Amino acid sequence: FLSVTGTITDGNGAPLVGASVMEKGTSNGVVADFDGNYAIEVSGPDAVLVVSYVGFKTVEVPVDGREVINVTLQEDLAQLEEVVVVGYGTQRKKDLTGAVAVVDVNELKQQPAASPVEGLQGKATGVQIINNGAPGATPQIRIRGFSTINNNDPLYIIDGMPYEGKLSWLSSNDIESMQVLKDASAASIYGARANNGVVIVTTRKGVKGKPRITFDTYYGTQVPNRGRFPDFLNPQQYGEYVYRQYINAGGEPGPGNPGTTGTNYGSDPTRPTLPEYLLAGTKTGHDITAADADPSNYRYVMDPEQYYTIVKANQAGTNWFEEITRSAPIRNHQLSILGGGENATYAFSASAFKQDGTFHHTGFERYTVRSNSQFTFLDDRLTIGENMQYSATKGVGFGVNENRSGDYQAEDSPIGWAYRIQTIVPVYDINGNFAGTKGDKMGNADNPLAVLYRAKDNVSKSNQFFGSTYADLELLEGLNFRTTFGIRYESFNGRTIGYPNPERSEGSYTNNTLEEYQGYNREWTWSNTATYKTTFNDIHNLTVLAGTEAVEYNFRQLIGNGNDFFISGDLDYYYLGTAANTSANSVGAKSALFSVFGRVDYSFDDRYLFSATVRRDGSSNFGPDNRYGTFPAASLAWRLSNEKFMEPVSWLDDLKFRAGYGVTGNQRIPTFQYLRQYASRINQSFYPIGGGNDLVSGLWTSNYDNQDVKWEELKSINLGLDFTLFDNRIDGSIEWFDRRTDGVLYPVPQPAAAVGTGDSPFVNTGKIKNAGVEVGVNYHFNPYAGEGDFRFDVGAFFSKYNNDVIELAPTVTEQPYLTLRGVTTSVLKAGAPFGAFYGYQVDGIFQSKEDISNTPSYENARVGGFKFADINGDGAIDGDDRTVIGNPHPDFIYSLSLNAEYKRFDISMFFNGSQGNDIFQLTRQYTDLFAFPGAVSTRTLNAWSPENPNSTIPSAYADAPTFERQSSSYYVQDGSFFRMKNLQIGYTVPVEKVFQGHVSKLRVYASATNLFTITDYTGMDPEVSQYSSTFSAPGVDMGVYPVPRQYLLGFSVTF
Amino acid sequence: CGSDFLDQKPQGKLIDEQLNNTKAVEWLLTGAYGLMNGNRDGTWGNYAAAPSQWLFGDVAGGDAHKGSEAGDQATMFEIEQHTSIPVNEHLSVMWNNYYEGINRCNTTLRLLKVVQETGEETFTDERATEIEAEARMLRGHYYFFLWRVFKNIPYVDETVSTAEAAQTPNNVDVLPFIEADFRFAADQLTNTPPMGDEGRVDGIAAKAYLGKLYLYQQKYAEALDLFKAVIADRPDLETLPFLDNFNVNTENGPEDIFSAQHAINPDGGGDNANVGDMLSGLYGSAPANCCGFFNPSFDLVNAFRVTAEGLPMLDGAFRNDPYLSDFGLTGDAQENYQVDQSLAVDPRLDYTVGRRGVPYHDWGIMPGNDWLRDPAFHGPFVAHKRMIDEADFAGNTQSGGVNYVTALNVSIIRLADVYLMAAECAAETGDLPYAMNMVNAVRKRADNLPRKKIDGNDAAAYSVQPYPASAFGSKDNALKAIRFERRLELALEGHRFFDLVRWGIAKEELESYSAFEGSIINVYGGLSFSEKNSVFPIPQDQIDRSGGNLQQNPGY
Repeated sequence: FLSVTGTITDGNGAPLVGASVMEKGTSNGVVADFDGNYAIEVSGPDAVLVVSYVGFKTVEVPVDGREVINVTLQEDLAQLEEVVVVGYGTQRKKDLTGAVAVVDVNELKQQPAASPVEGLQGKATGVQIINNGAPGATPQIRIRGFSTINNNDPLYIIDGMPYEGKLSWLSSNDIESMQVLKDASAASIYGARANNGVVIVTTRKGVKGKPRITFDTYYGTQVPNRGRFPDFLNPQQYGEYVYRQYINAGGEPGPGNPGTTGTNYGSDPTRPTLPEYLLAGTKTGHDITAADADPSNYRYVMDPEQYYTIVKANQAGTNWFEEITRSAPIRNHQLSILGGGENATYAFSASAFKQDGTFHHTGFERYTVRSNSQFTFLDDRLTIGENMQYSATKGVGFGVNENRSGDYQAEDSPIGWAYRIQTIVPVYDINGNFAGTKGDKMGNADNPLAVLYRAKDNVSKSNQFFGSTYADLELLEGLNFRTTFGIRYESFNGRTIGYPNPERSEGSYTNNTLEEYQGYNREWTWSNTATYKTTFNDIHNLTVLAGTEAVEYNFRQLIGNGNDFFISGDLDYYYLGTAANTSANSVGAKSALFSVFGRVDYSFDDRYLFSATVRRDGSSNFGPDNRYGTFPAASLAWRLSNEKFMEPVSWLDDLKFRAGYGVTGNQRIPTFQYLRQYASRINQSFYPIGGGNDLVSGLWTSNYDNQDVKWEELKSINLGLDFTLFDNRIDGSIEWFDRRTDGVLYPVPQPAAAVGTGDSPFVNTGKIKNAGVEVGVNYHFNPYAGEGDFRFDVGAFFSKYNNDVIELAPTVTEQPYLTLRGVTTSVLKAGAPFGAFYGYQVDGIFQSKEDISNTPSYENARVGGFKFADINGDGAIDGDDRTVIGNPHPDFIYSLSLNAEYKRFDISMFFNGSQGNDIFQLTRQYTDLFAFPGAVSTRTLNAWSPENPNSTIPSAYADAPTFERQSSSYYVQDGSFFRMKNLQIGYTVPVEKVFQGHVSKLRVYASATNLFTITDYTGMDPEVSQYSSTFSAPGVDMGVYPVPRQYLLGFSVTF
Repeated sequence: CGSDFLDQKPQGKLIDEQLNNTKAVEWLLTGAYGLMNGNRDGTWGNYAAAPSQWLFGDVAGGDAHKGSEAGDQATMFEIEQHTSIPVNEHLSVMWNNYYEGINRCNTTLRLLKVVQETGEETFTDERATEIEAEARMLRGHYYFFLWRVFKNIPYVDETVSTAEAAQTPNNVDVLPFIEADFRFAADQLTNTPPMGDEGRVDGIAAKAYLGKLYLYQQKYAEALDLFKAVIADRPDLETLPFLDNFNVNTENGPEDIFSAQHAINPDGGGDNANVGDMLSGLYGSAPANCCGFFNPSFDLVNAFRVTAEGLPMLDGAFRNDPYLSDFGLTGDAQENYQVDQSLAVDPRLDYTVGRRGVPYHDWGIMPGNDWLRDPAFHGPFVAHKRMIDEADFAGNTQSGGVNYVTALNVSIIRLADVYLMAAECAAETGDLPYAMNMVNAVRKRADNLPRKKIDGNDAAAYSVQPYPASAFGSKDNALKAIRFERRLELALEGHRFFDLVRWGIAKEELESYSAFEGSIINVYGGLSFSEKNSVFPIPQDQIDRSGGNLQQNPGY
């Protein structure tokens, strides 16, 4: 035996506390103390020490009989030598031949959010993230544009296990690395599910050494961006607007009459007078006498004949957005322990995250426990391990279900109602119960705060186990077999409670309902691979992989409904059995996927790299004739910098050209489109055929079939250039791509004469092309530790794609889609971008009767209304004059990140933006075009009038023709924006002085997100996520859940 | 993994190979009946497809206003004013739901043939024929309703594949196909409902409907024969209470010829009930309060006024010095309004319309504004025939406070309608005495109505008398009386607009109606009706989906 001592330091000479020193080939190891000192007994003078520390390059030091060995570890710049996970294996980052974005996980974590996906924004070129502010929401992620009209979400591979869905159950702190496979040559190993790109997530693994305990925590507040709330007319202005409607429309009687302007604005036809009360019993507005408004009349009973409420007019005007929003806390706590010995490593973590919504009575909570461990046997030739996570999530309140976007932005959501309720309505009546639209000419909005309040007990909970175990055996030198079995089992449940809303004009007095549901998602994946790696003649590196994978998915849900309870809203009493009426339903789905795949990677002398993959997938989604699809890909790279003739170019560290081509598929459509299906449902197909109240069972054709339905196929070409210059000071990459999806799947709506009200089948509808370029450049000042106190990094990312529908299948014609209240916003049309906005082109405002008769017009066209362009020149305005009026795709998106360190201080800033995208501001049908007697935008103060002839805003007009509200360029706005997304300032506390070595690292930080946004867009947030994640109509703003500002404080401590 | 690993089956759905049997045919047939209430599922939104056809028949015909506030369902107001544009969602609702009904009939017929030819067990020839007749009768009904609204519609039967159906143009006359379906049902069905099920169509319904189709084609003689056969099958109308047609406890009685059957689900749900009429639920403090739509017009209400002889004012004199209820009164005059009990009206008025001061069902005295949403806009009246007694709410209304969705059936054809259609055919073919007898039978039956009372006294000077022979002295006079009687007897049952178009008098009637109604409430004035307005525009989304095969109706 031999005793060896020494000190482990970094390039600055600072001790590396907790650095691991092991004797190679044994389990004998020690850890450096807080001065970096270590002492180890080794077996003899020929022993070899393995010194490692996270974030530094591991070195092996032969003892050579020495007794004192000081080691300086070189910081691992984690750029070129980094090993990244690719499909079913790993590769050195420098050897990648496809388009793979490797995300800086440290930057990812700087942005506190429920979902790690949010942090991806601007961290990888070609990845577009569209956020929304709903608690627990996973933002929308699009990789290199829209390849399909269906769900465009990528496939996630989490520790080797495929996952499709929302990622809000995973904590960012558990992520060790994240790669985005952007092109087919990288992604096609995942074949049928890879069309939208693949995001590979690897969770943190154990490291050898004594247990390292880290505690991360932050607490902050989210503040709604009040400056961007819509501006509405105050009640006096609203009254004047309503008066103008009748003045402009002419006719008798004019304003001031109950038939026109109602009882709220008095009988003076020249100017409105606001009422003191809106409602007292059944009396309204100025008709209310003092006796009517006597509080002793007040009765809040759920009987229409007894109910007597008294509501004062809010003459100052209610700011409904102010009323329904709040500043809300967000907090996260995470404990993780990493460690291991020679033959076993482990990682354990637990976290608790809670985010209250900036809309009242909404929130999200998440608790996770994760365990990753790995054991080696048989001289490291057999490895067995597991990665497992249990997570419990809970969404509280209106429409908060992290698995479904859209609920909180529909027209009957609290946000929708806030656009639709008049400002004269107060929040509460005189006795503190909710006030509403019951009254005279108040429209039919629900009180948005009441809707939120009454949904406060609605919950959706999920308990998910997600994990896999694997065994890897080295059978021969270089030949490994690996088997992985993983399972996701999610058990979910929730409840929705309905209450009476008597204050609403169309409210209910007796609605008491309970919906309760529970169900599960179960998916198992079993994959088996054999990998052979060899090197011959020192310059030929060859890796061959072959494998199989089977996936089976099963979902089942039980839903119970009850109504008419003895008491209303008592959660201790609300069980289905206590309801007067109940019904039950259950639903389910099943699917399976079986695949074989292979890959060859070959490199010659580190100069020429070649990779080829092929995958054959079989999917239960398709009929026997189209069940299997084959997805090949190949790519190559040339490392120019390793050529002899490049040696004189000393400033060039690395330069690599890449080219790839591949085919991927998409099968993410509802199952069994190739089968005609018939349903028997009481609501859909039963009939009281006996003449009484007994319903008799019937059948109907619920799903029409397309026997020819087959894979969506995406062919992609990628050219890339990676470079590292000036001794690691500049690095970056440039990509060019062309992706063409053939046979885009879409349930083309068939004429009712063919399918009635049944579901139209998915059809392979045509070709979509996305082509573009991506540029990412980073500059590092002082890339190596020890060169100075001041270091900084600047990164700039630029991504651009052009999207076009190249052609539609012969059976498919131009397809307008997404219809809301008679406004059809988007179109699928050959030659136009996918999801282009579609409608009439506003050509000004009709100035006079002569103007109308001299111009092509439409039914009931009026002076002060829209003049639309006669696109087909036939002298009339009708459906044939609709045209493309906007493009939801940006010209480009960009981001800029700055990270700097000075001694113990660090600062990071992150900006991102989108340029040239249009937004369809659908809320204008309420606020500008009076689809309901609801709130009216202050934009209308500048409406057209003979005195203001150049205005493009139609004048107020009673019962204006609905033609004016049709989809038109009036709704379409420029959605470009530039946003300061994140600012974080940190300080690393000199712990060795403060805590005498009990603490190895302590960093405190403060951060702010969404500090400012520069945009001309008039909606609440220029980040507009699409209505439904399975149905892409990008850029249609129906009232988004805006992203709040966040301010927070946090610290991270390691023991 | 075996090869069967990828063979999964749809969950909770059936596929073709499971349906090659008689049970499936019967169930599909029941499903085909399921569209009789105008909706597939859900309650809100199916207004235009209501079997009552209140929107196209009554609102577009000047007998009712769409109601509520002006801005609520503004596209209904365009239907009322005949200014609809092709994206009006009510047109799509009508189109989609009735084609769903047609598809269900076609699927039933297609499978019936397959089962009879290849099934292990088959129907008896009698039942097979009966099923075919039931399905074709329903198909004829669905097509007829579509034809009345849109006229130029694609015709698809059971021999047409789904792919071909998607490409079918709307350039053929569908009436011969409807006629063939009704004729088959009339020839093959007996006069009692198949299987003893009251809700099924029978030979009487088929004959009546075929007659109605002939009437729409001015084939009066053929129609009259059929109507006479129907009348002969049923008791004398005078013995049948008028109110039995609008009462959940007496529906499917002898006056019922063909109706949409409605029921409340065992869980209290309303999807199989009378959802298309739900918006006509009253407003405010009414026992069944909803949305306050479907308000009878002043014109309709005044049409019920009678002369000293107890006869309608065929010369339009009812528009002179019209009865306005409390409309336009303010302050104390409004507050203390008393209904004029000396007003001479047909007793059917107060079972067709609710008006202030008169008892309404068993809900109490109609209080006026407390049950109205925006009387200044839609007038002071509410509809009566689609609401049910409060005493019948339990078990016959949707639970959860939605008691304006009811199990009340809606007649498509009832015996009084057949009497009046027979009268029209007889008048057109010169048999004026028969025509008068039919009309007078209807009027005599109306006289049997119990009088509404206020404090023991009649709420109005009720009077309905048979026409004297002199009134039917000429064909023109006879037709005038018959047409007026149709308006009164069948008021707010969805006939008016289609009758006006059929008679070729829609333009003059609606424009003069508008001048009158607009003199009381401004917004109803200025209606301009042109040739194109006899039908409504084809829904734009259907044209978009058809790949150019569907052509818009002329003028739209």
